[in-house]
Amino acid sequence: MFQTISIVAFLVTICALALNCIISPCKECWRHPLRKLIQLFTLLFIEQKLSPAGVLRKLVYLLALLCFVVLALTGFYPTLVLGEHISGYLVMVHATFAPIFAICLAVLAVMWARNSRFTGNDWPWFQRFVQRVTLIKSTGKETHAQSSSLGQKISFWLIIFLALPLALSIVLSMFPIFGTHWQELLLGIHRYTAVLFSLAAIVHIYLIIRCKTNE
Amino acid sequence: MRKGLINHCRFSIVDLWRGRPGLASRWHLANGRRQGQDALATFKIEILVLCLLALCLPAVAAETGQKLLGDESDGGRAHPIHRLGLLAEPGEKDAEPVKIDPNVDTAEEVLLPFSTRRTCGLCHSYGIINKGWHFNSVDPNAEAGRPGQPWIYVDAKTGTQIPLSYRSWPGTFKPGQFGLSDREFTKIFGRQTPGGGAGETDETVEVMRQYVSGKLEINCLSCHNADPRQDQGGPTGYAVQVSRGNFRWATAASSGLAAVTGSANDMDEMYDPFDPFAVESAQGGKNKPPAITYHKNIFDHDNSVFFNIVREVPSHRCYFCHSNLYIGAEAEETEKWSEDEDIHLKAGLTCVDCHRNGIDHNIARGYSGEENASGNELAAASSCEGCHLGEQSASEPAAGRLSAPVPEHRGIPTVHFERLTCTACHSGPWPADEPHFTKTSMAHRLGTPNVNKAREMLPHIASPVFAKQADGKIAPHKLVWPAFWGVLNGDSVTPIDLGTVTNVIGDMLSKEKFPFSGDWPELTADHIVKGLTALASGGSEEGRAVYISGGRLYSLDDSGQLSEQKDHPAAKPYLWPIGHDVRPAAQALGIRYCTDCHGTEAPFFFGDVNIDTPVVAARESKKMVDFQDISPFYAWAFAFSFVFRPWMKMVVLGSCAVMAFVLLLYGLKALACVVKTLAGEN
Repeated sequence: MFQTISIVAFLVTICALALNCIISPCKECWRHPLRKLIQLFTLLFIEQKLSPAGVLRKLVYLLALLCFVVLALTGFYPTLVLGEHISGYLVMVHATFAPIFAICLAVLAVMWARNSRFTGNDWPWFQRFVQRVTLIKSTGKETHAQSSSLGQKISFWLIIFLALPLALSIVLSMFPIFGTHWQELLLGIHRYTAVLFSLAAIVHIYLIIRCKTNE
Repeated sequence: MRKGLINHCRFSIVDLWRGRPGLASRWHLANGRRQGQDALATFKIEILVLCLLALCLPAVAAETGQKLLGDESDGGRAHPIHRLGLLAEPGEKDAEPVKIDPNVDTAEEVLLPFSTRRTCGLCHSYGIINKGWHFNSVDPNAEAGRPGQPWIYVDAKTGTQIPLSYRSWPGTFKPGQFGLSDREFTKIFGRQTPGGGAGETDETVEVMRQYVSGKLEINCLSCHNADPRQDQGGPTGYAVQVSRGNFRWATAASSGLAAVTGSANDMDEMYDPFDPFAVESAQGGKNKPPAITYHKNIFDHDNSVFFNIVREVPSHRCYFCHSNLYIGAEAEETEKWSEDEDIHLKAGLTCVDCHRNGIDHNIARGYSGEENASGNELAAASSCEGCHLGEQSASEPAAGRLSAPVPEHRGIPTVHFERLTCTACHSGPWPADEPHFTKTSMAHRLGTPNVNKAREMLPHIASPVFAKQADGKIAPHKLVWPAFWGVLNGDSVTPIDLGTVTNVIGDMLSKEKFPFSGDWPELTADHIVKGLTALASGGSEEGRAVYISGGRLYSLDDSGQLSEQKDHPAAKPYLWPIGHDVRPAAQALGIRYCTDCHGTEAPFFFGDVNIDTPVVAARESKKMVDFQDISPFYAWAFAFSFVFRPWMKMVVLGSCAVMAFVLLLYGLKALACVVKTLAGEN
């Protein structure tokens, strides 16, 4: 069941992103694909213009990205590909990278939260709806934010929100608090949350790449 | 004799024909008041006919599948009373059973021991009972089920320690392969069986000897007799009678109703135990024949005997064959006063509350998955899971049978239930750096006279050894390393028969020193070379002579040099799972912390299992993890990761707290924004 749901969810998300890529391609993507690939690669580097805080933010993001890839591979490969529980060296690698990932997420939550606040500009239609409901007059200025910016913010908050049940479900199961039934429930929460978290993370990464390559 | 037979049958008929009390009362009336001779004669004829009918019933019932009186309960839960006339097996095969009369003139008739086949079999289908688990090992069609405790033949003087079983348990050998006839096997190991099985097969070789000894019938009393005089292991009890070859007399000797003297082993093959003259002549000789004397006070006015029979077998009866003694590294022993029994017994259960059976005596062994190999309808419900968790597919709630608590297993990841049996954490002694020397009733004849109590006494059984079993789960096991002289054919090794080994190797090692403790002698490569050379020179065996010991196969190469092969499949240790004693949850593995097992030096993975062998140079040890199909490095690395486990928990919880604060902070800010907007502020 979990295997089927997860595979379908991943396929749908990847197909949707691919479709998005085809329908609204980034600037000069088709004209200079090699240049774009190199640009994509350079996203991994630390830009010189960045402040020390910016450097830290980027380093933490890259580390989180690495951890995410490792955790996703070690977590999903046995369950989705082999159809068995995570075990052996994979579980050790998984458990080693997990706390690092948790720290990275906490740091990113602190450093990115302010920039990821929702503003009225993110949702002009919502702003108009609120104005209609509350009868507040418009200031006359209406700036349109990029849709990818909104997507990034949503996926960011989703990631932070999902990280809590994802981490707590597995850590709490290690304490002698919950019995077998709850252990199974916690494991189920961990697995399904991991799928949602991964989808949110994939969307977030995709939107960041699109945003950066369009700059 | 005919009078005795009629008297016996009176009781049987009264019981069997309870629906027709008029008949019995008429008989009593006629007998009690001494009415006219004609009436008495008429009733005698009636009764004689009915007696014959009753005697034929078991045979007819067996043929037609009809149930006997005691095959099915009427639903009453009270103890059934057993006041019976004693019947003996006749000398001739198809003759009628002999009613025991203690006052018989022994000059004319031999006083015989009673037979359970005849006495108990009158109301309980013997032919069904002897298909039960305790009696069906010799039946090739009987399901072997999960490997169990073998019979271990040991002989320090020939360096032999070999697991034997009639059941097809991988790693054991059939007694016949080792040159043991059923009779010899019974003489050695029948002491701790409830009879039947190999003791009851028809001898094809030692026919005359079997006539002298009789068959070792099922000893119903060994389990069902609640009389405190029941003597299984006393100086003249069941075990001793079996070793003396007094198979026919063993049940009676154990019952507390009679005394048996003499030994069938000492009698000539031509001795006729049914011939009063032969018996009388033998009694005048040096070697006394088996003879029985019934205690006079047990017989009532019509020579019936009261048996204190119980359906629910008392646990101490089971203990005679199923006791364990664990000896620690510092020679501390789990003597009765110092050890706690199985938690189930302490909670008020008895062995047979879980190990149940019906008239077929197909007793539930109680392991998970037994329902696939057993016809016992309670097999699934009698395992640990069956009682404590209940069958998930059951239409009615089944958990908590017999007040079994439903376990919570707080903090135990569910993967443990896929990889481990319940017994892994809950059964047997707490694992130590080295498994305990273990003695069992069946292997060390505990509870019988003149037992060697030394801790080193062979066979050397180690437990608990945590090993992977056939279903892929790790379970605690008892382990024995086979040691025997054999013949190599291809990859398989067949043991050389006991007689040859005793003659050839016994002679060769006769000048060696054998420890008084019953431990191994100290063998060297030279001994093995001499032994193999001697066996090879005999030339009676096809294939190459080898010696199996300590997981190694020793053989002579073409140049006559000794070669040894480590971890040869034929030299693998034999392991059988431990079920008891079950420890309570508060004493289960993992109750303190994960490192009870997942420690870098935890015995569960890294205990040293000694390789037991008489060959001094090969006495090494293996890690417990080697029996679990797990990489030792992985087990160590995984255990090492638990050093950081508390840190990991702290880090993840701390990170979660930070993220929760951020979410809360910005969530409240968003809420403030919404509140302001809804309040009409811009």
